[in-house]
Amino acid sequence: MEFKLEAHRIVSISLGKIYSARGQRGGLKLHKNLLVSLVLRSARQVYLSEPGCPPEPPHAACGPPEEEPPPCTTVWAAGEPPPPPQDEAARGGPRLPGADCEGPRSRRCCCGCSCCCAAGGGEANPADCATAGAAAPPPPHCPRKRSAGERGQAGSPVKKPRREVEDPPPPPPGEQEDMDTGNVASLISIFGSSFSGLLSKEPKGRRRAPLDGSETAPAEAAAEPGQICCDEPVLRTLNPWSTAIVAF
Amino acid sequence: MKCFSRYLPYIFRPPSAILSSSCHAEADIISTVEFNHTGELLATGDKGGRVVIFQREQESKHQPHRRGEYNVYSTFQSHEPEFDYLKSLEIEEKINKIRWLPQQNAAYFLLSTNDKTVKLWKVSERDKRPEGYNLKDEDGRLRDPSMITMLRVPVLRPMDLMVEATPRRVFANAHTYHINSISVNSDYETYMSADDLRINLWNFEITNQSFNIVDIKPANMEELTEVITAAEFHPHHCNTFVYSSSKGTIRLCDMRTSALCDRHAKFFEEPEDPSNRSFFSEIISSISDVKFSHSGRYIMTRDYLTVKVWDLNMENRPIETYQVHDYLRSKLCSLYENDCIFDKFECVWNGSDSVIMTGSYNNFFRMFDRNTKRDVTLEASRENSKPRAILKPRKVCVGGKRRKDEISVDSLDFSKKILHTAWHPSENIIAVAATNNLYIFQDKVN
Repeated sequence: MEFKLEAHRIVSISLGKIYSARGQRGGLKLHKNLLVSLVLRSARQVYLSEPGCPPEPPHAACGPPEEEPPPCTTVWAAGEPPPPPQDEAARGGPRLPGADCEGPRSRRCCCGCSCCCAAGGGEANPADCATAGAAAPPPPHCPRKRSAGERGQAGSPVKKPRREVEDPPPPPPGEQEDMDTGNVASLISIFGSSFSGLLSKEPKGRRRAPLDGSETAPAEAAAEPGQICCDEPVLRTLNPWSTAIVAF
Repeated sequence: MKCFSRYLPYIFRPPSAILSSSCHAEADIISTVEFNHTGELLATGDKGGRVVIFQREQESKHQPHRRGEYNVYSTFQSHEPEFDYLKSLEIEEKINKIRWLPQQNAAYFLLSTNDKTVKLWKVSERDKRPEGYNLKDEDGRLRDPSMITMLRVPVLRPMDLMVEATPRRVFANAHTYHINSISVNSDYETYMSADDLRINLWNFEITNQSFNIVDIKPANMEELTEVITAAEFHPHHCNTFVYSSSKGTIRLCDMRTSALCDRHAKFFEEPEDPSNRSFFSEIISSISDVKFSHSGRYIMTRDYLTVKVWDLNMENRPIETYQVHDYLRSKLCSLYENDCIFDKFECVWNGSDSVIMTGSYNNFFRMFDRNTKRDVTLEASRENSKPRAILKPRKVCVGGKRRKDEISVDSLDFSKKILHTAWHPSENIIAVAATNNLYIFQDKVN
C-alpha cells in the first residue's frame, strides 16, 4: 500500500516537473525529461499493479489506496457480482488491473479505473487493459474508457499519455519531426479552462468527463501542478482527480 | 559505513582561495573548471557566459611562499544569450565545457561551448605596441597627408602587459540538442562535440562543416530510451573515443571501422543489482561524466551515487566501485522532488591516475586512493580556507549517535554542491568550484 501512495506521489511530482520544464530557459532538457518520464512510467506501473482497490465512493475515481476492501464492488454494482475479496488477495503481486473491475460492466471500475484512467481512456480494447504490465488478460468487458488510454500500448509504453510526456522531452527543436510542442501547449490551455470544474471536487461521477479530451487527465494535472501536487492530503483522500494523475 | 583516513599521500592546504563576491548572482555560478596541459593556466566558465583564466605565479625567491598561487590572467565574455527565432527557444549562454588545446606557440587556445555553439578562443599577451605611424597620430586620428613631410618606420615600444582573447573560430548550427561535451583529439587537428543524441567531429580549421559520427536518435522519438551524457577521445589513440549514456552504459568506438560509429567496438555495462531497485534506479544509474585515465588504460564514470573505474579490456563490470555518498540512497525521493537527483557531478583523475576525486553536497568533495583504498571527505568552505591551514577530513553520520565534528545527513545543505573539480596534470593542486566560488588547494609537502 505504501508503494501505491509513494507511486501516486511520484506521479504527481513528475507531472509537475514535466509541466514546469516547458517554461524553462534554454528550452526543454531532453535528458532530464526522459528521466522524469521513466520515473513516471515506473510509478504508474507500480500504482496500477498494486493489489487493493482504492475506495470508490460515488464521486471518487481511483483515489489513493485505502484500507477498505474494494469498494468498487459496492459502488459500481453494475449488475455483475463484485469480485470476491479473495480475488484481490489471490492476484497479489502480478498486476491485474483489469481483474479488479471484472464485476462492473459500467465504465467505472475502481482499480479498473486506475488502469482506465492510467490509460487515459480510449479505445475499447480489452487487451490493452492489461497492458499496464500485467500478463493476465483483462476481463472481456473492460470499459472502453480504459482502452482509449491504452491505445498504442501494445509494444510500447502507453503511447497516448506518453505523447503527452514525450512531447516536452524530445521535441527536436527546429527539426522536421512529427512531434511539435504546439500540440501540448494547446492541449494544456484547453484543459486549463476545464480546470475549475475538475478541481471543484464535485463528484464528476463519470470518469468520462476527464477523458473527453483524452489528454485531459494528465494535462490538467500537469497544467496545475501547484494545485494537484500540493493538494496531497486531499489527493490521498478520494479526490477523483487523483485518477486523472494516475491516468497519466 | 565508510571510514575516512588521513593517509592520503598529501595533505591539502589552501594558499589562496579565490572568491568572487559574497552576494552571488546566478550568472556567477561556475559551470566548468579546467587546467591546461601544463597546469600553468586554469580556466573557469560560468552561467553568465564568461570565461576567467587564472595563471600560476612564477617561482620567485623573494616571495617563496607565494609560489604557485593562481591569479586572474584574463576575463572575457565567451558566449551571449541568444534567441532562436525559428524554434522560439532561448539559448543559454552558460558555458558547459572548456577544453584547452596543447600549446604550440606563444598564444593559448581553448574551446568553450554553450548548449549550441563551440568557439575557439586565442588568448595572447601583448606587451609591446607599435608607435610612429605615418598616416595617423598617437591617438589614432588620421593625419592630413599633405602635412606629412617625412616618413618614419614605426617601432615597437613596451607597454603594460595586456592579455587579450579573440574568438578565432565559431562552430555553430551543428547541434539540435544541447551540447554536453567537447573533447580535443590527440591529433590536435580535430575535436568532437556531443549533444543528447549525436556526436559531431570537427576540424579546427573548418567551421561550416562537421562530420556526424554517432547518431542515436530513433526514427520515432517516442521510442527514445537513452541519451548521450558525455563523450571523450582517448588520450593517445586518435581513432578511439567513448561515450556514456543515461542508462549507465559506456560505448567505445573506433572511427576506423566506419564513418558512422553507431556500432560500438566495446560496450561497458554492469548488471543492475536487483536488491537496489527503486523508482529512481534509472535516474541514479545515468552517467554524468566519463574520463579516460592519463594512461589511456582505464575509464572512470560517475553516476549519482558512485564512481566506477573500468578497465578497457573488461566490459562486463567495473574493476573498482567507490561509494561517494551512499547515505543518500534512502533519500532519493526527496532528492527527486528538489531536483538534486538530476545534478551532474564530474570526476577527475590525478596526474598519476592513482587518486580520483569527485564532488558531493554541503560543499564536500571526496578523494579515493586507488592503491591504498583509502578515501577522504573534505570541505570547501571559507572557514577552513585560511592560508596554509590544513583541510580537515569531514565525516557524515548516517544514523545513531552523532559524534562531535560529524554532520548528520539531514543537516546537509543540498544547495551547496560541488559539481566541477579539476586536478593539476602533474602536481597535487586541485581546483574546486563551489557555486560561485573557486577554491584552489595545494599540497605542500614539508
